[in-house]
Amino acid sequence: MSLKSYSRQRAIHVMLVYTGGCNGCDIEIVNAVLSPKIDIEQYKVFLTWNPREADVLVVTGPVTYHNKEPLLKIYNDIPDPKLVIAAGSCALMGGVYKNIYGDIPSEEIEGPVENIIPVDAKVPGCAVRPQDILAGLISVLPNLLNSD
Amino acid sequence: MVNITILYSIIIAILTLLVCFIIGMFLPGVEKKYVHARIQQRIGPPVTSVGIMAPIKFAFKENLDPRSPAPGLYKALPFISFLCILLVLLFITPQMYSVELLSSIIAIVGLLKVEEIAYVFMGALSKSVMSLSMKFPDLVKGASHTDTIRSHIEDISSKRSLRMISYGSFPLYLALFVPVVCSGSLYIGDIIKYQQVHGPFIFTTQGILAAFVFFIGYVILLNESPFNIIEAESDVIQGPYMEYMAKYRSVIYLTKGLLMFTLSALFTIFFLGISLNIFSWNILVFIIVSLLFTLFMGIFSAFTPVFTNRQFLPVVLLTTLIGVLAIVIGILI
Amino acid sequence: MIEEKIPNPNGELIETEISMGTVHPAALEPYRVRFFVEDEIIQEAEITIGVNHRGVERIMEGLPVEKANALTEKICGICSNSHTWNSVLTAEKGLNIDIPERANYIRVIMGELERLHSHLLYLAHGCEVLGHETFSMRIFYIRETVMDLLHMIGGNRVQYGVSIIGGVRPRCELNEMRIQKVESGLDELEKNIVNFSERFTSDPIVNSRIEGVGYLPPKQARKLAVTGPSLRACGFNYDLRTEMPQYDDFDFNIISLDTCDVKANLLMRVLESFESIKIIRQAIKNLPKGPIADRNWEMFDCDFIKSYIEVPRGICYHSFALEDGRVRGSVIRTPSMANIAAMQYAAIGNHITDGQLCIVQCDPCFTCTDRAFEIIEL
Repeated sequence: MSLKSYSRQRAIHVMLVYTGGCNGCDIEIVNAVLSPKIDIEQYKVFLTWNPREADVLVVTGPVTYHNKEPLLKIYNDIPDPKLVIAAGSCALMGGVYKNIYGDIPSEEIEGPVENIIPVDAKVPGCAVRPQDILAGLISVLPNLLNSD
Repeated sequence: MVNITILYSIIIAILTLLVCFIIGMFLPGVEKKYVHARIQQRIGPPVTSVGIMAPIKFAFKENLDPRSPAPGLYKALPFISFLCILLVLLFITPQMYSVELLSSIIAIVGLLKVEEIAYVFMGALSKSVMSLSMKFPDLVKGASHTDTIRSHIEDISSKRSLRMISYGSFPLYLALFVPVVCSGSLYIGDIIKYQQVHGPFIFTTQGILAAFVFFIGYVILLNESPFNIIEAESDVIQGPYMEYMAKYRSVIYLTKGLLMFTLSALFTIFFLGISLNIFSWNILVFIIVSLLFTLFMGIFSAFTPVFTNRQFLPVVLLTTLIGVLAIVIGILI
Repeated sequence: MIEEKIPNPNGELIETEISMGTVHPAALEPYRVRFFVEDEIIQEAEITIGVNHRGVERIMEGLPVEKANALTEKICGICSNSHTWNSVLTAEKGLNIDIPERANYIRVIMGELERLHSHLLYLAHGCEVLGHETFSMRIFYIRETVMDLLHMIGGNRVQYGVSIIGGVRPRCELNEMRIQKVESGLDELEKNIVNFSERFTSDPIVNSRIEGVGYLPPKQARKLAVTGPSLRACGFNYDLRTEMPQYDDFDFNIISLDTCDVKANLLMRVLESFESIKIIRQAIKNLPKGPIADRNWEMFDCDFIKSYIEVPRGICYHSFALEDGRVRGSVIRTPSMANIAAMQYAAIGNHITDGQLCIVQCDPCFTCTDRAFEIIEL
């Protein structure tokens, strides 16, 4: 294993962006990093709030109208190589809010995260379990380690 | 013969820098894993993650253009502060004692000041996406004060670092001047010689007071909680460092570790009277002192919230007074 | 102490504007806050919500009432049980359904467990915004006990609403084993919270940081119609639980403190946690025997029904009419709606580092609150 991928494996910075879900996923994810019970830092994953520092972007919530632009801006600010994890059923497919006006196209929900930025891993659940976030991250980690 | 001696000195100085640099890289990890995580009853990251692997990882990342009015200057600033710390470390090696102009306390204080001034420019030049640039319909009908000046969060951080320069770093410099007053010389070589004759300063009254003041100054200079108001997460997120990425961020990570070691090395030299020589057992004293400082700082920062000006000013005032007291005792005795 | 804080009249003194959001570490939800600052002292604050409007009321329109009740769970990730409870209560009020005693007890137990988890989350978040990572970690550790109990009864860590029309879900039956687990969990929780609160109140540094910050005068709190623990921290002894028939069987005290600052708010949550533990203990001790759901009810049309209950953050209001078993004209009003003005007011006159703390002190839950939406052309 080269030094590049070894060092990437030993320090992973995760940034969380909430785009208007019900708050449950956000708390579970922040909890996963913070609480001593799960303590994600022992697996070399750190929580950051600065897009310039992040490697992995975790997105929760169906992207609402006002959150589309901030999400795009934050995504563009993360330097390559980067991963995007969509966490929770809202981020995966809009959840219960997707079908807000039936057949009429919705102006408020910009749809699942996939419509806006490319997604590497999808973590299902309403709300996601903290362990699942970690599992989702591990499953796509080779993409991060092996990229240039 | 003279040429060979100079060559040897240069090689030894470079070797000293390298060894100190490597020790410094471990210190942030030690603080995070063995102090913070242990106090918070969790396992915590591996020791190498924070100080060593993160900088290497950032060095391999792609570099984008920072959002800054003067990208060139902004990118140069971390290297300037890194260089300043490296020069401080160089000036306190025994090989430099013969160059009396540089191995004096004035040069060290000046270089540390440059490092602090760098924060002001970093804060002023950083225009991150996380506050004002984030698109949101703010200035609409019904919004209050649509005609004010709008600033980024880093601007407050810049103003705060300006204040830190004016009063925040008093304790450290006052503590450094206590040995100067006692030994009556500005030069490091003389201070060490004085202590080898009269015993270390730490065992005198003024030395103990000054050591306490030095510790507070050490925490303030490192911007560690509770004195991390210029990078408090509750309002300015990361303050001056917001826009650094890739190799520039790795330099910032390395600077922190190196600064931790350099300041504790300054303490060892000024208060224990031991010179920085990597080929003797003295280096162990340096390592132990740096670990002790890291330990105390970790414990101190784990049990305190961020200080706002309301708590910060009294603490600085009190430590400054203790420092002045120590100097007065030093003059009288 | 400042008795009456007057917001700055337009213009003149305001030096600069600092905007935070919509993504910010001190806020767990997307919202925008603009602080108008003079020499790092906040002169005025403006909170803009509407970022995470998903139109739950609109989706509820025309859904069968059982489905609509299940949907209200998704309004908020923190007080999900309360919304389901209130929505079910609204339907039961209109359809004149009497629920079994045992079902009511289980609902109360879940409601109080939720209050515990919400208050502990508030404390942890408050300590995090203070910059005190160790305290925040400690409370997150304590909170895991409550999360485990909620997981055991409701079957999920976050969306664990128990109520259905006529009673509670069959899954949420409390058998002997579960009761024992709840009891031992409560003992551990009480011990931990007592230890924590002793440590917290005797810490001089933390106290100097939170005393007198975010002062909200009682007169102003009354004027702004503040609700819930934030109102009780301003010296008003008012709790809707005393008037709710569901809480008739239980004996508990209403806590009120009169220092009106962040410290009062934080202590308020600690003291209310003990009352919640007391209520759960009583409910478990006197848990009546019998069925947990009454399925013999008939659907008929009814006009707009209103229901108010006390949720962890204050008074929650649900209202809808029933037509052919479908929900019409749903209106939901959450407590944070009333508290937004208080957050803006409390921030005035504080240092900008405390700005987010003043917002957090009223326990914001903007994901609940986002109801109105208007796309504005700039």
